[in-house]
Amino acid sequence: MSDLFDNVADMEEDTQKDRYLTFVIASECYGIEIKYVTEIIGIQAITEIPELPEYVRGIINLRGKIIPVIDVRIRFRKEKKEYNDRTCVVVVDIKDISIGLIVDSVAEVLTIPEQDIVDPPQVNKASNNKYINKIGKVGNEVKLLLDCEKLLTDNELESLSEVQ
Amino acid sequence: MKKVMIVDDAAFMRMAIKNILVKYDFEIVDEAENGQVAVNKYKEKKPDIVTMDITMPEMTGIDALKAIMAYDPNAKVVMVSAMGQEQMIMEAIMSGARSFVVKPFKEDYVIQTLTKI
Amino acid sequence: MSDQYTNEPLLDMFLFETEQLLEQLEQSVISSEKESNFSEEAINEIFRIMHTIKGSAAMMLFDNIAKLAHSIEDVFFYLRKERPSDVDCTVLSDLVLEGIDFIKTEVDKIKNKLPADGTADALVETMKGYLSQLKQETKPETMEAAPAEPEKQQYYISQVKTDTAECNKIYKAVIHYEDGCEMENIRAYTIIHNLKDIASEITYVPSDIIDSDESIHVIRRDGFQIFLKTNLDYRRMFEFFNQTIFLKDLELIQLEHDYEFKKIELDHNKIPALNDMVKELKEKPMHTERTDKDTVSTNTAQSIISVSVSKLDKLMDLVGEMVIAEAMVIQNPDLRGLNLANFVKASRQLSKITSDIQDMVMSIRMVPLSATFNKMHRIVRDMCKKLDKDVDLDIIGEETEVDKNIIEHISDPLMHLVRNSIDHGIEIPEERIALGKARNGTITLEAKNAGSDVLIIIRDDGRGLNKDKILKKAKENNLLFKNEEDMTDKEIFNLILLPGFSTKDNVTEFSGRGVGMDVVRKNIEAVGGTLSVDSAAGKGTVITLKIPLTLAIIDGMNIKVGKSRYTIPTIAIKESFRPKEGDIITDPDGNEMIMVRGQCYLIRRLHELYKVKTDITKFTDGIIIMIEQDEKTVCVFADELLGQQQVVVKALPQYIQNFNKVRGLAGCTLLGDGSISLILDVARMFH
Repeated sequence: MSDLFDNVADMEEDTQKDRYLTFVIASECYGIEIKYVTEIIGIQAITEIPELPEYVRGIINLRGKIIPVIDVRIRFRKEKKEYNDRTCVVVVDIKDISIGLIVDSVAEVLTIPEQDIVDPPQVNKASNNKYINKIGKVGNEVKLLLDCEKLLTDNELESLSEVQ
Repeated sequence: MKKVMIVDDAAFMRMAIKNILVKYDFEIVDEAENGQVAVNKYKEKKPDIVTMDITMPEMTGIDALKAIMAYDPNAKVVMVSAMGQEQMIMEAIMSGARSFVVKPFKEDYVIQTLTKI
Repeated sequence: MSDQYTNEPLLDMFLFETEQLLEQLEQSVISSEKESNFSEEAINEIFRIMHTIKGSAAMMLFDNIAKLAHSIEDVFFYLRKERPSDVDCTVLSDLVLEGIDFIKTEVDKIKNKLPADGTADALVETMKGYLSQLKQETKPETMEAAPAEPEKQQYYISQVKTDTAECNKIYKAVIHYEDGCEMENIRAYTIIHNLKDIASEITYVPSDIIDSDESIHVIRRDGFQIFLKTNLDYRRMFEFFNQTIFLKDLELIQLEHDYEFKKIELDHNKIPALNDMVKELKEKPMHTERTDKDTVSTNTAQSIISVSVSKLDKLMDLVGEMVIAEAMVIQNPDLRGLNLANFVKASRQLSKITSDIQDMVMSIRMVPLSATFNKMHRIVRDMCKKLDKDVDLDIIGEETEVDKNIIEHISDPLMHLVRNSIDHGIEIPEERIALGKARNGTITLEAKNAGSDVLIIIRDDGRGLNKDKILKKAKENNLLFKNEEDMTDKEIFNLILLPGFSTKDNVTEFSGRGVGMDVVRKNIEAVGGTLSVDSAAGKGTVITLKIPLTLAIIDGMNIKVGKSRYTIPTIAIKESFRPKEGDIITDPDGNEMIMVRGQCYLIRRLHELYKVKTDITKFTDGIIIMIEQDEKTVCVFADELLGQQQVVVKALPQYIQNFNKVRGLAGCTLLGDGSISLILDVARMFH
């Protein structure tokens, strides 16, 4: 899975446009813009930190850099699952904040041109909807495209409500 | 490759000039922060061209120019000045400076000046 | 100052240098104002700094800054030249400081990637007004450059050995310069200067290129016309003129006769030759910029280089990794049980060198507090002016060094404390005199080393804190956690550090919003420091900041709790031992305590505190570590001790820190086997 990424890492800025990394969580396929992804690694030992929301699993040592990891499954209120050898950590970087996203498995890098991207339906369902800002159509499949910034920064209210 | 020494008490200015020159056929052999150091380094490094700020502490650009010209009458010194320093530029020309650039300068003006002297 | 603000090194350099210059400038202005005199040195320095800022700002297209700097430069250019004697120092200082503030604000905007859209037009006008006023007041001396004589004939008589009889070729050259090359008159003069050696007679139009800016427009419009006599052939002359820098157009005609030449000569007045004028100019060195020794001299700057902090941070990281790698080599399981005398000797040498490098790198990051302390002068000055008080600022121990990372966090708290002192502490002069105190209040800023900490003490001789008022306010805000009678004076004073506290009835512009002292405390604690307050009614107040020298590397004891690893700063550990069953006491509330040599201490079970699964829950199976901070002692219970080592402290990722819940963790570190150990924040253990 990392060789999947080697090519991507070499890409120039502009060729990263319209490209999404897709991954699977509980049989649903999500995508995030490749420009945010810095690397993909296998699941490794996580150091837990007490008193954090459940979806924040702790921190890991990535070649000397300490990175927090969040379990996207739990974040999206899905049932917790045991990690196996397909479980990956997608390391994303936004505004100098690096975070590892634990996902069930990584699918592929897709190009989804703008015309194939539409707004999500306005349904007030489960809270994970708010992290999906667009829907991408690929063939006859649908990929839920995540708003990376929201996913990473929208934690204050969450933590308060969860702990209460 | 022409060897250039950049003299200016402001690190920013030195960097700005350096950034322009390295894109062309110029090699920066040294930098100096005041006139006295400039004179000493000139004797040591013998650059082909010197860019010399006029306003500096310790020893002004004009005095440094004169000292360098006294040491090497063939020295090519280009004064770097601000608007409003006409008298000083003239004194510099009279003392042997080859030409001058005016701050804020544009890249092609600097290059043209340094290439043509 | 943070390391890299932008991705552009040139912009970074501009910001860095401008900030430095502004600080220098501010000090210069303030001390001049104090002496009620702007010395020649100071004027020169201020002139030069404004000149530099003007140039750099213009290069970076920050025209608002450049314009303001220019107007201040003009004022000081005048002061430099004329040295008028009755300059009102306060007025001048105010103006310059206002200018400094504007530039500082713009620079801050740029640092934060905001547009530098401020305009200082009003201030520029004020500067110009001030300058005109100055000019009217001082007697105009005739030091003006360039003789006021009108049209001169630019008629040059050769000094060259060229035999005039042979200079029989006459040329007319018309030169047009490229647009925007500026100072065409000077460029024209350069040509004439260079012609000296090869021409016997020269005349040109416009003729007043040296003393008139008008000539620039004439040259732009009509070109620069030169008539000359020489013995060189056309080709040579063409080559000569063609070398002119910024030449747009050259017209070179060889003339048959010199009628036109002579006509122009006659048009001009017969006045001294260019030659003489040149001599005159040379004799009047009115623009020599001989400056005296600098205050903060650029000379000594030669032995200092500026290094980007991010590079230093990377270096620290590498050193940290080296420490770990060294441990992995020396403590390698492969070597267990082997008798390796030579290896041990060599590894000892390696350890020593690694340790030296570590010390050296840490010392590089150490920065004296002087810059931070000196910033306070400005604060004191401004506050005194606004409140009509007189306060002297004494600085002691400014050479004391502190880690660069920490310095940034001290500046704001210090400012607030100084402001507080002047606002609430120091009385107005009349009141002080009535009380028998010196008219001028004194604030002392002192820094000194104390073990692995630095103490910063802010002392004032004002009216001190009012215990009763504090108690009253604390009661009002429900901040009392103890009975009034049981509280020591110190405890009462330290109430002001609690959030939501303020005894000032009116919120002044400067302080007393109830967020002040609490924020100060938070900032200090954020760098691992502590704050304490003491006071004596009528005599003054003392605030003591205790700040660790460096956050970067600490001596730590690694401990194990279940699968987790923690590190406790060795300095906080008093002792550790395996407890005996009989020593443990449980009180009716369920609190567990232990008796040690007659003293009773509270026990905190780490596995409960951090919700870690472990098999070691019986006290007698694990280990008790007695830790102490600020005269308070507590015992923590862990599985076992793993060993002591120097650990490189890494901050917890910002994302994690944003969850305010994470208490009790001062950071984390990487152990030799790559796993992460959480560093315990001892101070927090006591809540």
